[in-house]
Amino acid sequence: MKLTKRAGACALAVIMAASSSMCVSASDETIKLTLWGAEEDQSLLQELVGKFEETYSDQKFDIQIGVESESTAKDTVLTDVEAAADVYSFASDQLTDLVKAGALANLEEVGQALQVAGRSLDDVKSENVEASIEAASIDGSLYAFPRAGDNGYFLYYDSSILTEEDVATWDSLLAAAEENGKKVGMTLASGWYNASFFYGAGFTTSLNEDGTTAVDWNGTSEKGYTGVQVVQAMLNIAGNPAFMAIADGDISNQLATGELCACVSGTWDGITAQKTYGDGYAATKLPSYTIGDEQVQQASVAGYKFVGVNGYSQNAGWAAVLADFITNEEAQQEFFAQRESGPTNKNIIESDEVKANIAIAALAEQSEFSTIQMVGGKYWDPAQTLGELIAQGGLKADDEAGIQEALDSFVEGVTAPVE
Amino acid sequence: MKDQEKNSPAKAVGSFFKAVGGFFGEFGTAVSKGDAAVKLSLLWMGAGYAKRKQYVKAVIMTILEIAVVLFTVKFAMQYVPKFGSLGTVQMEKVFNMETMKTEFNDYDNSFTILLFSLFSFVVWFAFIVVWIRNVVNAYELQKLEEAGKHIKTFKEDLHSYKEEKFHVTLLTLPVLGIVIFTLIPILLLILVAFTNYDQNHMPPTNLFSWVGFQNFLSLFGGGGLTVTFGYAFVRVLGWTLVWALFSTFTTYIGGILLSLLLNSKKTRMPRLWRTLFIVTIAVPQFVSLLLVRNFFSNGGIVNTICSNIGLTGFLRSIGLVSTSYIPFLSAPGWAHVMIILINIWIGVPYQMLIATGVLMNLPEDQLESARVDGANPFQIFRKITMPYLLFVTGPALVTDFVKNINNFNVIYLLTEGVYTTTNQAMANSQAKEVDLLVTWLFRLTQDYYNYKMASAIGIIVFIICAVFTLIAFNRMTSGDKEGTYQ
Repeated sequence: MKLTKRAGACALAVIMAASSSMCVSASDETIKLTLWGAEEDQSLLQELVGKFEETYSDQKFDIQIGVESESTAKDTVLTDVEAAADVYSFASDQLTDLVKAGALANLEEVGQALQVAGRSLDDVKSENVEASIEAASIDGSLYAFPRAGDNGYFLYYDSSILTEEDVATWDSLLAAAEENGKKVGMTLASGWYNASFFYGAGFTTSLNEDGTTAVDWNGTSEKGYTGVQVVQAMLNIAGNPAFMAIADGDISNQLATGELCACVSGTWDGITAQKTYGDGYAATKLPSYTIGDEQVQQASVAGYKFVGVNGYSQNAGWAAVLADFITNEEAQQEFFAQRESGPTNKNIIESDEVKANIAIAALAEQSEFSTIQMVGGKYWDPAQTLGELIAQGGLKADDEAGIQEALDSFVEGVTAPVE
Repeated sequence: MKDQEKNSPAKAVGSFFKAVGGFFGEFGTAVSKGDAAVKLSLLWMGAGYAKRKQYVKAVIMTILEIAVVLFTVKFAMQYVPKFGSLGTVQMEKVFNMETMKTEFNDYDNSFTILLFSLFSFVVWFAFIVVWIRNVVNAYELQKLEEAGKHIKTFKEDLHSYKEEKFHVTLLTLPVLGIVIFTLIPILLLILVAFTNYDQNHMPPTNLFSWVGFQNFLSLFGGGGLTVTFGYAFVRVLGWTLVWALFSTFTTYIGGILLSLLLNSKKTRMPRLWRTLFIVTIAVPQFVSLLLVRNFFSNGGIVNTICSNIGLTGFLRSIGLVSTSYIPFLSAPGWAHVMIILINIWIGVPYQMLIATGVLMNLPEDQLESARVDGANPFQIFRKITMPYLLFVTGPALVTDFVKNINNFNVIYLLTEGVYTTTNQAMANSQAKEVDLLVTWLFRLTQDYYNYKMASAIGIIVFIICAVFTLIAFNRMTSGDKEGTYQ
């Protein structure tokens, strides 16, 4: 830590006083900050910013709140990094691109500012679940504050049709669905969803230093399964008449038709699922699938919502304090209470209210099998195409050479140099 | 008319260079034959006017000169010297805990350097033209004075912009707009195609630099980048041309047939029908396209109906589809045909309007005499209506073709999120079978920040459109077709 003497003394004072006394910037200057958050979070953010200004009433602030959805934050920020907001929320899969473009400040440096709040970066790291901190870090440096952990997927089902035993494996799930004349839906044509089969079988993806993606799906996993076996298992599922491959983002429409008795989705479809299944509304971890005569637990991708500080923010210190303020335990409690957002804070996760929420409880159950997906931009299109090939039956389960070839060209596309 | 007919491209180019030559010729004469004041205008632009007592003009020119010098020193010099390297100072920053602020070094931003250098070049170019004109003007004033003729006062000069020079007054704003909003972006795009501006070289954090023709080499399969890029390019280009051809002619012919039908005396309530067709124009295109996309998606309403009436099952049994739905917009072939069909629905009303307008002006005497000569309706259509329509709407047809090459809306809105390629080689280059060059380009910039390849593709699109337009227009305006209708 490159603390100056004064700042060091100040930190000491803060720790001793254990208060949020102001000793760093007693300047009269008005600190201008811009904060971007999702449309539906605006009123809550407004409230939190009000509290923030109250807490640090010695300092004058001019905080503007703008609307920017987490899912599109990267596009907007990278259009003009220097003009983007000082503090913004984004989905965890955008982290690597944002860091690469210098759009996120390294919190190991800027995080010193948290001493103003009487906190340190280590507090942030210990308060939130480890996986969320890992997902927000690159090369051991933390780049964002975890705010929500509900960006993952699990299984919604209708408990008036399916029993808990039915939803334990894909085989029993599909059999039960067929018996009832219903279908089970999942998105295969997306590298975010279809990776769950590969991760489950012990395959990995990772980022190389030059930004390219390393992927081993055309080989043998550490658990001893081959990529071909995984694709065969997926083809068996996709070829089942009770299975419905759904285009990315179309799940809620399909749910609403009432044809699905179960589907793989996340909290964003919670309300639709609740409406469709009524009293039968239930959610649980993903089922296991069959390779040979073994059952393999389907994994999932852990997705988070992060709040980061712009790497080009002039007032990076106060920006970090604000980012921490809207992601700390109290704020996450508010987000859960008002927006039903799944927390990453350990204390809140352990609370009874969170455990009583069906979707978030299922997510927590699945989190044991979830992976942090580290991939570069070149991953998505080839992965989508691989999924579509499987969904449409473009590959045949008994054609091992054909599957191997498809996996090889998938790997070739994913590992291509970034340009 | 005669002059135009003889206009060949070679002549056009020749006369362009002649004009340029003449421009510099005048300048040479002015400099060599001008008096001291004219020669002084080379340095002080107001000199010539001051000497001939046009003081207001002298002041204006002096202010302009000072402004350009200031612009050069204060603004351009920050960027233009770095134009060759596009910047060398990488961004560095330090967080200062005492002020709670991040302190940045004075880093270079390659993109700003490129943009503002280009802007400076344009300003300088315009200034040099003005500077040369200025010397020529000064010399002309000298000649006027020598001949003892009246030299206009400033008021008279101003007045002339309302009279004989009114075109200058009218065109100033549009020309300025074209330079700022069209010319500079196009030049910028051309320049970016020769750099390595991509995800690994994103300003302001990273610098990018010149790479020569490397991007074009990889576009045509010269290696360096993904091996599949050239593969994808050829296929995307092929579909772009097929699409442009089919979409243009299907809507054109459809529009004409429809308007003939509506114009026919046997059609009852033509106004009602016409209004109904125009309703499709009234609804914003992206709304109707997104709706249609949802209708025809894999789980859409059309698929539900088809499977309920057994059509899907029938197609499966004869082997036309292998999936449990009809891949209207999600399989190559199917999607290609569907896109063209949907485009007919979207595009025909426009063509119908145009064709109706033209048909109403069809020379009645010709139709009359044809009927008297015993021509049947089909002969009239083939020999009179169609040639007339082609003659009048020909240029619009060319424009439509070029527009369709770049028809982003229809393709993007109909296929985005619905169409997934199953061709892995295409996927490895982020392309789809249904992509036009322009939608591919959009995805490359929007999702992959691959600005350099997008610019290279943009230049190719521009060349294709330009060549096609030139050839088609030359063909159309040559010959004596116009005489036929006069």
